Amino acid sequence: MAITTRVVERPIEEASYMRATFKGLALTFKHLVDPHKVTVQYPEEKWDIGPRWRGTHRMLTTEDGKAKCVACGLCPTVCPANCIKLVPGVDEQGNRYPVVFDIDEFRCIFCGYCQEVCPEEAIHLGRHYENAETDRKDFIYDLKRLTAQTHPVCEMWDPADPRGE
Amino acid sequence: MADTKLINLTIEGRAVSVPAGTTILEAAKTAGVLIPHYCYHPGLEIAGVCRMCLVEVEKMPKLAPSCATTVAEGQVVNVYTQKALDARKGVLELLLINHPLDCPICDQAGECELQDYTFQEGRADSRYHEPKRFNPAEDFGGDVLYVTNRCILCTRCVRFMGDVAGDEALCVEERGDRAHIGIAPNHDLSHPWAANVVDLCPVGALVSKDFLNKARAWELDRTASVCPNCSQGCNITLETRDENVVRMKPRSNDAVNHFYLCDEGRLNYSWINRDDRLETPVVAGKPATWEQALAAAGAALKGATAHVVANGSLSNEALWLLKQAVGTGKFRVAKGSEAALTGVKDLALRADRTPNATGAEMLGFTRAEQPLVGAGKVVVIAGEMCDGLDTSAIAGATTVIVLCTVIPKSLPANAILLPIANFAEEEGTFTNLRGRVQRFLQARPAPGHARASWMVLSELAAAAGKKGGYASAEAVFAAMAGTEATFGGMSYDSLGLKGQVAVAAGVNA
Repeated sequence: MAITTRVVERPIEEASYMRATFKGLALTFKHLVDPHKVTVQYPEEKWDIGPRWRGTHRMLTTEDGKAKCVACGLCPTVCPANCIKLVPGVDEQGNRYPVVFDIDEFRCIFCGYCQEVCPEEAIHLGRHYENAETDRKDFIYDLKRLTAQTHPVCEMWDPADPRGE
Repeated sequence: MADTKLINLTIEGRAVSVPAGTTILEAAKTAGVLIPHYCYHPGLEIAGVCRMCLVEVEKMPKLAPSCATTVAEGQVVNVYTQKALDARKGVLELLLINHPLDCPICDQAGECELQDYTFQEGRADSRYHEPKRFNPAEDFGGDVLYVTNRCILCTRCVRFMGDVAGDEALCVEERGDRAHIGIAPNHDLSHPWAANVVDLCPVGALVSKDFLNKARAWELDRTASVCPNCSQGCNITLETRDENVVRMKPRSNDAVNHFYLCDEGRLNYSWINRDDRLETPVVAGKPATWEQALAAAGAALKGATAHVVANGSLSNEALWLLKQAVGTGKFRVAKGSEAALTGVKDLALRADRTPNATGAEMLGFTRAEQPLVGAGKVVVIAGEMCDGLDTSAIAGATTVIVLCTVIPKSLPANAILLPIANFAEEEGTFTNLRGRVQRFLQARPAPGHARASWMVLSELAAAAGKKGGYASAEAVFAAMAGTEATFGGMSYDSLGLKGQVAVAAGVNA
């Protein structure tokens, strides 16, 4: 079958590019005078992250500054990425505490199971996303670093409505 | 048992036939139903105090405690009816009223029957909001710590100490919610079998001081084994964490130790984890390869008459291969005091503190106080640490071949050292003092280049021009059963994990 070409005659107001050009320029000039902003001026301005954001960990402490952790071993057990190293010990008062508590943040998949399983509400994921380091080994957070960090922590559930009803 | 009458009954819709006099709880086990229970233990007298094993028996007006109710012909037992479930839920709720719920720091967590049954049948929350009773933990002496708040007063420990150990050290003190386990004045749990109360305790009330806070129950790898600390040959489970043995628990075997293990046996395990081990063969004071060391040892043994010093902690396989490769010899037996568990027939911590003295004697080795005495030019020392031995007897020897886990002191500098695995790092069998041959399995890897003792000896036999080169401990055992009449007809399959009595049993009985 031979290929044929058919030229369609269209009215000038449809065929002309001028109309579309003015429409686009109208939007451009509208944004020049409209204060509506989309771009966040990072790092001067920080992004507002949600209450359930799951970032790098924090260990909460008691009033006397000690980690709340009692080294029960549930978080290394539940951790699907196997990134928590825990060695339990006993202090002078006979209380269990973690001698070693290391989290490999590279290996972590930020699922939040550790926070969910913790019976002492000690380990938490953080509402925090600025994690840059200059050395790979600095991504293994030890107990000292986990307790020293102060960023807000993830809220797995709404405290006013824990069952999500 | 000749006149045993079988009773037919139905448990949870399953037809069961059990001997007359069996309890419903035991009968249910044969039907594959585990009725929750705390105070009942097959090794102890029935108490019926916990009320956890209540089941509904048709035509009985009230729920029956299944541990204390014997079966009757045509009985229909329902374990999971609403009435029975409600009753057990009530029992659990009351048990948890004063329970501290400190599972995160409790050693029993993960193997706790209170946890398990609460998870299965208990309430999700508590209706008790008043302050809980608090009592401080108490050191009961021995290896036992009593955490009063966790106790559910099943009285298994009281009955064990009174009825089985014959030392009425424990009792229930006070009444009502103040009740707790008390210890008699001027008593403690230093009885040589007292630590069994830790295993018997279904909750975390009685915990081992040795194991306290060492590991969580679910982190442990468990290996069937035999206690290496005396000639009784109690069946045990070696529990390892990160390839280190952290505790030894009894494994039930009605022919040997029932449910029990003595304190000396269970606490003497740290030598298994020693880290000052010989890890590579040594020839003439320098590290060597296995090929060099075996060639040197084989050359020295060819045509020579060697003086053999064995050890009663070597497996039957290793001792038989030693006999094949070099010949029989002498061994020393460490001695200790005997301590019987009075409530169980023929169960004691034996004076011979070596697991395989009987096996060694059956294979033709003889006991000696000073096994090194009488040594000639060639000496083979297998497994003997030489601590406290007069090594001047081998000072004149030209060749000393030593199979060891740790380098023995005061050996000639030119000794050929062959590193072997200890009993937890290899497979094998021990023969206990009643002639029962029992298997033990490998629980942890051998350090460095150390090899299983049967493997080293089978290659040494080959190097010395004898039959060797066996591929596994099982193959060695099969060859041994073929030549030694005492092991006739046995194999690893027929031994299973509970053992078999050797033909010439009673050598040392």
